[in-house]
Amino acid sequence: MHKMHNTPLGRVFDVFNVILLGLIGVATVVPFLHIIAGSFATDAELSRRSFFLFPEEPTLGAFRYIFSTDAVVNSLFTSVFVTTVGTAVSMILTLTMAYPLSRKNMVGRNVVMNLVLFSMLFSGGMIPTFILVRSLGLMDSYWALILPMAINPFNLIIVKNFFQQLPVELEEASKIDGCSEIGTFWRIMLPLSMPVIATFTLFYSVFYWNDFFQALLYINDNTKWPIQLLLQQLVTVPDMNIGELDESFYEQPRESIKLAVIVVATVPILFLYPFLQKHFAKGVLIGSVKG
Amino acid sequence: MADKAITTAAGAKIIPNVMTKKQRIKRDKWLYLLLIPGLIYFIVFKYIPMWGIVIAFQDYSPFLGVFESSWVGFDHFKFFFTNPDFIRLFRNTFLLALYDLIFFFPAPIIISLLLNELRISWYKRTVQTFIYVPHFMSWVIIASMSYVFLTTSGGIVNELLEQFVGRKFNFLSSPEWFRPMIIGQIIWKEVGWGTVIFLAALAGVSQEQYEAAIVDGAGRLRRMWHVTLPALRPTIIILLILRLGNFLDTGFQQIYLMSNALNRSVADVFDTYVYFIGITQGAFSYSAAVGLFKSVVGIVLILGANHFAKKMGQEGLF
Amino acid sequence: MKRLTNYWNGSWLLSIILFVGILAGCSDETTGGNSDNGAGENSSGAEEPFEIEIFATTFSTNPPGNDSPVVQALEEYTNTKLTFNWAPNSNIDDKFNITLASGDLPHILYVPSKTPSFISAARDGAFWELEPYLADYENLSQANEMILDNTRIDGKIYGIYRQRSLGRNGIVYRQDWLDNLGMDVPETIDDFYEMLWAFTYEDPNGTGVDDTYGTVISKYEGPWNIMQTWFGVPNKWGEIDGELVPDFKTAEYREALKFFKKIYDEGLVNEDFAVMDTTEWTKPLENGEVGVFVDVLDAGERARAKIEEQYPDNPDPIRLLGSVEGPYGHRALPTSGYSGMLAIPKSKVKTEEELRRVLTFLDQLNDEEVQILAGNGIEGRHYEIVDGEYHSFTADNEGLLAEYESLNQIMMFIPVDKVLAATPNELKQLEAQILEDNIEIVVPNPAEALISEVYSKQGQQLDTIISDARIQYIVGQIDETGLDEAIELWEKSGGNELVAEMNELYKEAQANRN
Repeated sequence: MHKMHNTPLGRVFDVFNVILLGLIGVATVVPFLHIIAGSFATDAELSRRSFFLFPEEPTLGAFRYIFSTDAVVNSLFTSVFVTTVGTAVSMILTLTMAYPLSRKNMVGRNVVMNLVLFSMLFSGGMIPTFILVRSLGLMDSYWALILPMAINPFNLIIVKNFFQQLPVELEEASKIDGCSEIGTFWRIMLPLSMPVIATFTLFYSVFYWNDFFQALLYINDNTKWPIQLLLQQLVTVPDMNIGELDESFYEQPRESIKLAVIVVATVPILFLYPFLQKHFAKGVLIGSVKG
Repeated sequence: MADKAITTAAGAKIIPNVMTKKQRIKRDKWLYLLLIPGLIYFIVFKYIPMWGIVIAFQDYSPFLGVFESSWVGFDHFKFFFTNPDFIRLFRNTFLLALYDLIFFFPAPIIISLLLNELRISWYKRTVQTFIYVPHFMSWVIIASMSYVFLTTSGGIVNELLEQFVGRKFNFLSSPEWFRPMIIGQIIWKEVGWGTVIFLAALAGVSQEQYEAAIVDGAGRLRRMWHVTLPALRPTIIILLILRLGNFLDTGFQQIYLMSNALNRSVADVFDTYVYFIGITQGAFSYSAAVGLFKSVVGIVLILGANHFAKKMGQEGLF
Repeated sequence: MKRLTNYWNGSWLLSIILFVGILAGCSDETTGGNSDNGAGENSSGAEEPFEIEIFATTFSTNPPGNDSPVVQALEEYTNTKLTFNWAPNSNIDDKFNITLASGDLPHILYVPSKTPSFISAARDGAFWELEPYLADYENLSQANEMILDNTRIDGKIYGIYRQRSLGRNGIVYRQDWLDNLGMDVPETIDDFYEMLWAFTYEDPNGTGVDDTYGTVISKYEGPWNIMQTWFGVPNKWGEIDGELVPDFKTAEYREALKFFKKIYDEGLVNEDFAVMDTTEWTKPLENGEVGVFVDVLDAGERARAKIEEQYPDNPDPIRLLGSVEGPYGHRALPTSGYSGMLAIPKSKVKTEEELRRVLTFLDQLNDEEVQILAGNGIEGRHYEIVDGEYHSFTADNEGLLAEYESLNQIMMFIPVDKVLAATPNELKQLEAQILEDNIEIVVPNPAEALISEVYSKQGQQLDTIISDARIQYIVGQIDETGLDEAIELWEKSGGNELVAEMNELYKEAQANRN
């Protein structure tokens, strides 16, 4: 595609496109740059200037402060662990379940699909799930942050549809070669699905990384809090009765420290996408045979 | 013996319908095995807690539990539907959801198409990475920045508008700007994240198709229209159907943070209403009832859309 | 064959993961069980430390655990073995509701407020009624009657309140600006208005530029509530001829609103107050743009510190007032006087004997030694006292501070706060003085302890109708007729039922008292 011949109109389009996307890129990234700049600024500057990209007197004070205790480091460890293991579990469960569901002539497929769809729309809510997790003995366990949300029905359905689009010919060819269904799945389907795998690895990782609510419910031991729960604790402004707020609320860290925690909690996961991007081009087959 | 077996296998392949259910199940046994872990997950973590739905028909007291709490039938639903605010809440929720569908839903598709046309790969990758950054910013931060940018007292956007257009706009306080502002924020925050899945789908479009299109004399736009977009179509349809399933879900936090006394008439939605009733006031049963109502609307929409898609010859959800 | 092996590997991995997960959880369960047994056995023996599990909130990201020397000292003093479940304050409502719903309650449960979920649990007998016992404990017996009344549910006490200052609301203002303008400290509402006007139009900071204004208000409506009290508006409910009347139905309320509209129209308040994000609220004061800030008094010292940081040559420009005088003299809007309470669940504390042991612990938490432990840490480690002067070591040492920082969240401060403090600056001294003086002029809410069914279902909606109308009136979107319409809407949306119910409850409560 890169070496395609181009018309003058096409060239105008290219220039326009480069500029437009450049502007969009800037508009989306600038506020985050402000947060990064703010994390290196003094609080006086943050209260005086409402928006800036370069601090006048850069300082590492905020970062020194947040790393002066183990809390942030511990929580990063929890987040990394839960994200890695959780994503692995989720991907295994999602892929193994999506594949059989993509085989159209399987008996009982529709029953299972209805089951999945129904659970996507209806749920028992927070309390029954909490009671279940507790009776499974998962309280204060990292598994409580992983298992209750291990399969996202939304993701499952999309992966299933991706599998469905893979050409039947391939599957039949592999069967003639003597592969069983599982062999076909493992040796033919998965390697062809790299963009899908990369996409959903990203989706699940970001989900696990960003989630604080599971931890809020299931983790009582504060040494196991993930970074997002710490962040939540710092940035949330209680909505009502500010006048009745405990003075302890105001003793909480200053603005620059909050921004520094945002940076620490966000930057690691931001690097995942560029890393996965290269896999997006590997599974060239999706959609190709159909055309 | 061997020959016979092969014939049977081949025969079954050619006319699979001849196989009985039992035979098919036996044939697919390995597939069922793959299915089991996921199925166990759904039964344990999704279906066992389903008993929670019944609290919508109870006066649920957490302390008494589901067996001891008293039953009230459809009282909560009646109270909800006869609430003088119901029409307004429904209207606000519906309009926001509709705007979201019309303006936000296509945005990532358009951006993906444009990104796909970028030829400089480092530039493409950089833009991709930049536009997905806002997905990671919390609404608390975005709300506070929106105020700083948009306020009529010294906000940079209004300062610029005053210079170039000659007047200020009450983005934050006027009811007519509320929905555009909310949708604008959503587009800004989520458009890049939304492109991820489309770009993954585009990774599969083969070069031959583009080349064939060029041979046919198709220009850039026609190639986008006739090659790229069709490649995205199955993904678009699935996402659209799934989106309809939670049609009435609006982002609670965002709306809560952006609403105020002057725009509340359009800002009150089911989610903000349920938040106050459910969480801050602890009315579990009532919020469960409202949630159930939203789910029913969702399932009607999703089944309708799925049926429609199949009728149009598209691949539906299943 | 190879393909099969591949498959089985994946599957076994998964099973092992699931299995290990459940095992890991089981071991947690066992520890949980032990604490039950421990409590049972130990209540008979006097020597063994008593095990107590506490659900408390924290504002910190790093609350103390059992390895903290302060917690150990606290355990030693009270002869207990403590287990803290710290609930992040950012989502305390969710965490509280789920804890309550789970039925697995600790010995001591922090209750953020009288939410319907807590009320219904208390009515269903989930918690010990404490009133009969309080008199037997040295500190708890000295609890403030008025605050106790505020915590009642159906006339009963189900939790020990965490005392906070009643008179915390007031006025923060720039004394240096007043001095620059040669003005006196305002005494009446009229003086207050003059101050706002002068701060807006008479160049109080002497820069020669129009870069200041009177007062800043945000989306948070507290300042309006504080100011309307000066005019004689009751605190949520007023008693007129023995009947409870909502505050906005009084004539004084209209007077106050006219005043608000006037200061808004004249530009003495920030134009965008109705939309201002609360996180931005204090900035104009800290930057020297604004001269008056109506909020909690402790906001004064926080602003002073920020101003000093930016303008080191102006270290002490702020002063405070409890209220200004209106047609009914000095009046101040009180807080509820407590910030949540500590309740004792019956499911965990089964016998009266155990209850008394837990109450002994709670009583001890109010001892001076314990208050200092929780609020200041350990002498020599966290602070020192030189010549009677208190010096903290924790200012730049986050790790040290984390050893005790959140423990003040289980403190009740009954009868008084005995935490050590460095010799307060002039502003802090003034604050302490006004907090005390305000007690005399606060306007209690006669309906504070009444629990209305209508309100618990629709209260939020009803309150919003009125508070939105107030804002719309101030910015000129509606006029007096519009206010009347809003009140009518309020009445039709359940307000009338609310008034009837409240009056009934009120009469019942009066009758019970007499």
